[in-house]
Amino acid sequence: MTNNAVLKVENLVTHFKSVERGKVVRAVDDVSIELMPGEIVGLIGESGCGKSTLGRSIVGLEKPNSGKILLDGVDLSSLKGKSLRTSRRSIQYVFQDPYSSLNDRQTIGESIGEALLIIGIRDKKQRSKRIHELLDRVGLPKHLSDRYGRELSGGQRQRVAVARSLAVNPRVLICDEPVSALDLSVRAQVMNLFFDLQKDLGVACLFIAHDLALVRQAATRTYVMYLGSIVEAGSSQDINQNPGHPYAQALLSAIPNPDPRIERNRKAIPIIGDIPSPTDPPSGCRFRTRCPIVVDQCAETTPESITVSDGHYVACRFAERNG
Amino acid sequence: MKTALLKVNNLKVNLYTEHAAVRPVDGVSYSVAQSETVAIVGESGCGKTVMNFAPLGLMPTGVSIDVKGSIRFDGQELVGMSEHGLRLIRGKLISTIFQDPMSALNPSRLIGRQIAEVSELHLGHTTKQAEAWALDLVKLVGISDPEYRMKQYPHELSGGLCQRVMIAIAIAAEPKLLIADEPSTALDVTVQAQILKLLKDIQMRLNMAMVIITHDIGVVAGNADHVAVMYAGRIAEYGPVEEVLVNPKHPYTKGLISAIPRSEDPIGSPFRGLSGMPPYLEGPIRGCGFSPRCTAAIDRCSTSRPSFTQITNTNVLAACHIVNQSESQGAMN
Repeated sequence: MTNNAVLKVENLVTHFKSVERGKVVRAVDDVSIELMPGEIVGLIGESGCGKSTLGRSIVGLEKPNSGKILLDGVDLSSLKGKSLRTSRRSIQYVFQDPYSSLNDRQTIGESIGEALLIIGIRDKKQRSKRIHELLDRVGLPKHLSDRYGRELSGGQRQRVAVARSLAVNPRVLICDEPVSALDLSVRAQVMNLFFDLQKDLGVACLFIAHDLALVRQAATRTYVMYLGSIVEAGSSQDINQNPGHPYAQALLSAIPNPDPRIERNRKAIPIIGDIPSPTDPPSGCRFRTRCPIVVDQCAETTPESITVSDGHYVACRFAERNG
Repeated sequence: MKTALLKVNNLKVNLYTEHAAVRPVDGVSYSVAQSETVAIVGESGCGKTVMNFAPLGLMPTGVSIDVKGSIRFDGQELVGMSEHGLRLIRGKLISTIFQDPMSALNPSRLIGRQIAEVSELHLGHTTKQAEAWALDLVKLVGISDPEYRMKQYPHELSGGLCQRVMIAIAIAAEPKLLIADEPSTALDVTVQAQILKLLKDIQMRLNMAMVIITHDIGVVAGNADHVAVMYAGRIAEYGPVEEVLVNPKHPYTKGLISAIPRSEDPIGSPFRGLSGMPPYLEGPIRGCGFSPRCTAAIDRCSTSRPSFTQITNTNVLAACHIVNQSESQGAMN
């Protein structure tokens, strides 16, 4: 199964220089993930945990220090020039804020057309035909191609951003909080669009989000990230029904329930304080400073990833294999 | 029934910018009792923020506002009050917490100073008294290492800590009413829980009334007594949280609540939502603002504005022709 992954990230490390002299921000520290063709995978964690840096490193917006990014088994770092550009095209990024990701001085058609020019569609007629196809694909009327981004609503703009990323026929979309800037009633429309793309075009999505309820429903598998590393990975069902890592447990217990009868009796697992600084992460298990079940040994060694059930991994010394 | 601390009656707000005139608040009435929490929910652009801040004189520059109707707060009328009068109320009797704590704090002043200045202004504290009071407040809002934090700048603090500082500033003069505009939206889910609990504890301690403006139904469910659901500048439904969220009457409330993903929803199942988009509030809306998106709409919905009526055997008020119609039919039988 592993060999068929469309995207495979192995032991990726992305560090930044800190403003404090000589210090390093360990944004992504030894992360491995994989996506099957046409699979929607969730990546969840708090702000500052490195989930966006991971996404940006995959598409080449950040330069990783070490590790491999394999597209269909081909290591991107082994490619150069034209072959690298062609491969990169297969992984596209959808940004969080549709208000800043579109150029206000370009019409929607120009914005999408630019991507088409890059892949060599020089004929104007052909290009405009393709633009209309793409707009139709994301559920927007054709006439919007003459409009400017500022004339559209947030939901429409995010659809345009998706249409633009689809212009180059990608196999993987990295969606960084694609609906968190949108209102609840519009959110569903955009989320369902990702389902359609997955079904009709077989595009795989890495869905970066902090909204657990959303990921729970959208993704078949989920990675939970904390302070630069993956602390739990597994099917969304396993993680939701049986979270193994104390961080994942606390995160899930913190989701408010919209039913007041349930919400008022909800017992949240308390996590104390804020996420520590990635310039100086705690020794051993990185979650130990906020963990409700911490013991002395947690400071000494980094916990190994334990297989608790098939395909469900937990990086905590207290995790136990089910059954 | 407790007497109302804040009573808003038929409030209308017009905003005029260089390019446009909009009416983000169009005839809204509600009340907040002492020590009660009222949540105001709605999508962006529905007028929920303007409704709360425009009468206090809190608007962006370059916008002129025209407020009509009545807001009685603790025996005083706020609509038409002078800027001087509002200044005595703002920060003292009514204080506010904003969505983005990072931008609400002054980046170039120390945390301690920003808290102390409130009690100097409103409680007549000397610098020394105010500093001591600020330290007490920093402890009260659960900030660890308080002496050290007082001497830090906002950029040195995380979002959660900044929001705690904002809360300390807001409660420095022990207000009677706290208006919290999306107090937890910019924060992570684990920190959100901490902040909401802190607000609740402080409310109990000060016997303070609270208005929470939010778009998160989960936050409403756990924290509010009453909820007002706003759509297109008007209140669509109002009532006790346990009635409105469990048994919504207005089609918009129904749609909003059913759009929330639930743990029972199977993985990969389509998300439920509302079709269409919220209206622009440029022209006056003749009928019900929700009618273009409403699946139950009848002819009358687009021509006449539904009245805001109490539903029999409930404490809920709704503005919907369909709900009202079935009500009157029920009464006839």
